[in-house]
Amino acid sequence: MNDYPQILFKNRVVGETAFIDRFRANGGYQGLEKGLREMTPQEITATVKASGLRGRGGAGFPTGVKWSFFPADQPVEKFLVINGDEMEPGTYKDRQLLLADPHQLIEGVILSAFALQVSHAYIFIRYAYEECSRNLEQAIAEAKEAGYLGRDILGTGWDLEIHLHRSAGRYILGEETAQLNGIEGVRPNPRSKPPFPAAKGLWGKPTNVNNIETIACIPHIITGGPGWFINLGITQGGVGTKLFGLSGHLNRTECFELPVGIPLREVVETFGGGVRNGKGFKACLPGGASTPFLTAQHLDTPMDFEPLEQLDSRFGTAGVTVFDETTCMVGATLNLIRFFARESCGWCTPCRDGLSFVQWILEEIEAGRGNRDQIAMLKDQKKNITGRSFCALAEGAMGPLDGLLRHFEQELEDHVKLGRCPFGD
Amino acid sequence: MPTLTIDNKSITVPDGTNVLEAAQRLGIVIPHFCYHEALGAVGACRLCAMMFEEGPVKGLQMACMVTAQDGMQISTLHPEAQELRSHVIEWMMLNHPHDCPVCDEGGECQLQDMTIAGGHGRRRYAGKKRTWINQDLGPFVVQEMNRCIQCYRCVRTYQDYCGGDDFGVMGSRNRLFFGRFQPGKLESPFSGNLVDVCPTGVFTDKTFRFKTRYWDIEEAPAVCPHCSLGCTVIPGARYRELQRVRAGVNRQTNGFFICDRSRFGYGYANHRERIRQPNCQGAATSWREALEHLKERLGKVVNEYGPLSVAIVGSPRSSLECQALLREWTREHGYRPPLFEIDNRRDRTARILAAGLGKQARSMAEIADSDCLVMLGSDPLNEAPLLALAIRQAVRNGCHVTCLDPRAVKLPCAASHLPVQPEQLLPAINGLVANRFEEFERQDQLFLEGAAERLGRAERPVLVGGGDLLGPEGTEALLKAARSLNAGLFVTLGGPNSYGGALLSEDGPDSEEMIEAALEGEIKALFCIEADPLTEGPARSARALGQLELLVVCDHMVNRTARSADIFLPTTAPPEAAGTYINNEGRMLPFGGAYAPGLPLRDIGEGGHPPRTFSNITTGGEPRPAWAILATLLQRPLDFDSIHHGLESDPHFAGLGLLSPGGEGRRVTDAGMLPPAAQPEFPHSAPEGSLPLLVVEALFGTEPLSSLSPALEPVIPEAAVQLHPTTAARLGISDGETVSLRTELEHLRLTARTEAEMVPGLLVAYRLRGTPLELLPVGKITPCLLEKGGNDA
Amino acid sequence: METVNQTTGKDVLLPDDTIEAFRAKAADTPHPRELIVDLLRAIQDHHGWVPDAGIELAAQTLGLSPLQLEEIATFYDKIYRQPVGRKVIHLCDSICCWTTGGEQVAELLRDKLGIGFGETTPDGVFTLLPTCCLGACGDAPAMMIGLTTYGRLTAEKIDTILREIRQQID
Repeated sequence: MNDYPQILFKNRVVGETAFIDRFRANGGYQGLEKGLREMTPQEITATVKASGLRGRGGAGFPTGVKWSFFPADQPVEKFLVINGDEMEPGTYKDRQLLLADPHQLIEGVILSAFALQVSHAYIFIRYAYEECSRNLEQAIAEAKEAGYLGRDILGTGWDLEIHLHRSAGRYILGEETAQLNGIEGVRPNPRSKPPFPAAKGLWGKPTNVNNIETIACIPHIITGGPGWFINLGITQGGVGTKLFGLSGHLNRTECFELPVGIPLREVVETFGGGVRNGKGFKACLPGGASTPFLTAQHLDTPMDFEPLEQLDSRFGTAGVTVFDETTCMVGATLNLIRFFARESCGWCTPCRDGLSFVQWILEEIEAGRGNRDQIAMLKDQKKNITGRSFCALAEGAMGPLDGLLRHFEQELEDHVKLGRCPFGD
Repeated sequence: MPTLTIDNKSITVPDGTNVLEAAQRLGIVIPHFCYHEALGAVGACRLCAMMFEEGPVKGLQMACMVTAQDGMQISTLHPEAQELRSHVIEWMMLNHPHDCPVCDEGGECQLQDMTIAGGHGRRRYAGKKRTWINQDLGPFVVQEMNRCIQCYRCVRTYQDYCGGDDFGVMGSRNRLFFGRFQPGKLESPFSGNLVDVCPTGVFTDKTFRFKTRYWDIEEAPAVCPHCSLGCTVIPGARYRELQRVRAGVNRQTNGFFICDRSRFGYGYANHRERIRQPNCQGAATSWREALEHLKERLGKVVNEYGPLSVAIVGSPRSSLECQALLREWTREHGYRPPLFEIDNRRDRTARILAAGLGKQARSMAEIADSDCLVMLGSDPLNEAPLLALAIRQAVRNGCHVTCLDPRAVKLPCAASHLPVQPEQLLPAINGLVANRFEEFERQDQLFLEGAAERLGRAERPVLVGGGDLLGPEGTEALLKAARSLNAGLFVTLGGPNSYGGALLSEDGPDSEEMIEAALEGEIKALFCIEADPLTEGPARSARALGQLELLVVCDHMVNRTARSADIFLPTTAPPEAAGTYINNEGRMLPFGGAYAPGLPLRDIGEGGHPPRTFSNITTGGEPRPAWAILATLLQRPLDFDSIHHGLESDPHFAGLGLLSPGGEGRRVTDAGMLPPAAQPEFPHSAPEGSLPLLVVEALFGTEPLSSLSPALEPVIPEAAVQLHPTTAARLGISDGETVSLRTELEHLRLTARTEAEMVPGLLVAYRLRGTPLELLPVGKITPCLLEKGGNDA
Repeated sequence: METVNQTTGKDVLLPDDTIEAFRAKAADTPHPRELIVDLLRAIQDHHGWVPDAGIELAAQTLGLSPLQLEEIATFYDKIYRQPVGRKVIHLCDSICCWTTGGEQVAELLRDKLGIGFGETTPDGVFTLLPTCCLGACGDAPAMMIGLTTYGRLTAEKIDTILREIRQQID
């Protein structure tokens, strides 16, 4: 059904995990052999930069650029951290990757660590992904056995140890500096930036933090070359493939590897099998809980960073959650805000208290107790929370509220006018 | 030095200044909570928003998080900034109770001020408020968590600045609890600072609870009288009762914080047994009669025995003004030169320090900035608590701390501690200079060589000494070492004005000489001004005082000597009158009187309503400043200012008149003089099987004034003798056991406490007031016998 | 799962050898704090939840104060500082499960278990807690029991799962 090139999912058989034999039989660790035997760390970084790969964790920062800020050549202790705190609602791609093919990540980690010249990498895995952690433990042990980890890897004189950090919940740990605090065992509030982790990260040492899917792309970029990787994308400027996690009111809610730039309509109709129960498409979150809603008029948009930004939304994690025409968008937004308010770390006021206030206003409106002043209040809360918080969590929380106010203000009005939820029972 | 413009006003600020600080320098008040000068900027409250209109940074920013740069044009009045501030306040107020009428913070609540300043006036949130069950945090601090606005100042003060690890923040999102793991006393000796840093009424002073509204309290900047550091404090009184002490700000000494002894040790001023009326032979009388009687008795002594039969003992507790008049008085009448410290060891230590400190002097601010500290015989948490905080700040900035001390010195930061015998301090000091440590065992040599090496490498090294343990010889050696190593020096002394007394003593006789003269019968009249020779002096003081014909005591506290006085004249307590102290680094620190003395209304009223009796004089208002008593005897006008300014005729005190209470003060420029050569001490032959006992100061329970404070009773340590486990094992004594301790004069029962980090072979005990231990000299070795049991005591 | 010491009959938080292993690791690292989450999870795996004594044990093992442990323990929602049943049901209430009938599943679970969120069944087997997104959005509505995720929940499926777990425990 999926005729697009399968890169990250090439070993994927749902319900099975490819460990080292199958991984190697399918060409695994060839990127590693090439990178470590034939390339210098600088060349690997240059290749990643040339590939135009952008971070797959949601923010979309160019990976090679991030690496080039990293003091790889300085003879100081430094760290690589792999962010596997996949907790943005609607996002479950990294889990699929680790369930199917953990060695792909390990190979990526080794190559990245070599490029960045670090000797200790931490893979941070969220609490709910215990199977993923176990797969990684096995993969790390196998890689060590095969001589890909440990001392003097492939005769390069370079050592690497991979540590697995199992977390214990909380969305904020996906924020890179909060995650560093989490690994250190201090309260996982975000840190102020600057200094950025590349200068002062784990235990004050230079640290590079990348998402799991991002790092899994690295071996393929090394084997296939940047030109090949760029051509995987189908939009101008769109690069590589992307794991799309489909959810919500679709007939098929599965994870697909699709080219960057694929139109939203194709994602929803071809891969998602269309809106279920024959209902109409009302809206979707294009890239996770923090990305503003898109509506039916946006269905022909290519799923890529720039086109979505032009619609004041974001590509995010490409976790597409679809809402059918019977969905109360006030209720949906309330659900999302409740998530963000509950997952606030409590450090800064707009997030800690502002989000609870927004939650309360939406609860009042959804319950039919709202008034028009409160619709105005939602607007002024959005204005004063967006861009005013310490980290990106509260800003992300304002994504769905922004979408609600831009596309569905009428629904708010209707709630107030009727004194109840027009969709509710 | 960037120049920036805020609200059309230009200012040039030092590099690294943030924009909020720059605005404060311009006098622009921007609401903020999480920023605090001592704690830095963390960007949590999001209140100090300003609009950056032109320059390298653009848009609405939190001013505390932006470093001032050239060309910035900033508006604090921009509508977006104002709008955000009012929103932040609204968010903070969502859960804040409207209990201002019953909240102790009311009137001095930053949240009240900022709510008004931030422009939030109407509550739009009508949902439920989050509520908490509070914890009992012990005798000093009350917690009311419902008022919390989560600025994190408390935890940053308690953990980061003060190094406490039993108070912190638990939970997350809008369910943050700032408290302890379990209810219980806050363990940090700096816990009271929570009261000052909390911008609202979450943490309030338990001893001050429900007593007074801020606008009704009488306050004045003052200097803490409980050790020699000279921390700025602000005592506050109402209805003639000293009701609280809060921290003042002095960036050179204490910074923004004080210790719990300083904050909660104020009860001495309200002490019920304080004698507030002059008396002759125990019978209360009037000032006029008392002074007449004094002149008559003194005249008789002088007529009969000559002026040299009159001796004066002043005190390091007295103001410089009092001490200076004392010296003048003795000179005018030809009496013996005054002593300003009856404890000979402390007297000589202070005089040697004041004579030699000079350019080596360092402030606590400079200690916090040091990159290498070597501590010799100094136990800051027990002897001078704020010094421990300064040391902690240095360590946070990467300073290495070495500590040589017989005691198990505990610091709120990392330090390398080498337990040494008291008599090893001197060779250690000399060794640091020569980098030779032959007297020490090999392992200790390595430790000391490391310290010497770090000292040599450091850019801003400071030697920190404890005057009590160093004594005169140790202090002299440390002075030489500091000069030869080109290091700073910081030595703690016995009292708040030890340094002033040392300067005024010049090369006058020491207390040993005076006691000898008294024992010889050469002294017939003794004046004790805020001094208690019977407690603080050597054991022979009692015999010496027994030979007097006249004992006059001027004091504000009851003590042994005051009880034996022929004539007693009540003086004001430190917060009741203006004066000046010179702290241990030679810094002149004037203070103002916060209130006039008098019997607290709560004592007079005895619960009646209204609580007052009618009289045209203040009941209990008789105490006079000690300087005023001396001015009367000198027939000088009772004018503090003229006496204070008159001190400048002594070149030591040049510039004093320019200083004002609450300021940073100024170091004295001229050195003091060395005391006359010490009389040789005849070594006591220690009895067979005796052990050396070292009596030392403790944070609570040993300092004379604060020991009278009822608020501190719950934290006064048990009377115990500390010894190394090996020493205990040798004596067959186990931890917690009751033991009998005999010195030449005293016999007491104490609890034995084993302490693995102290030096073996030594006994250490705190000089607890109200126990026989208070009679043992501090810092000196007393031979004693220690046995199990002690039921026969 | 062994939580009671057979010789003393006392409830143990963590076997001695595990404690010793953590102590050795703590001595071996310049920053023992990094072991906090691991140690709290180990105590929870063994004891079911982390009581005050567990916080104290962890603090003592790592050379930290109980408060320093509590600051971390109370931040994470998957560290239980209150007693829970032998199996904790985390029902996802985030957006994807909400769109696919998560609220009805919640109702079902409350009915079947006879308890509300935050409560434990009288037989001490199940505790019901809400959780944020489990990363099982494609299989919504989803829940996690212990560390196992169950998706595409229906009334029948829930019955089977609960029955099987009860059988395992017995």
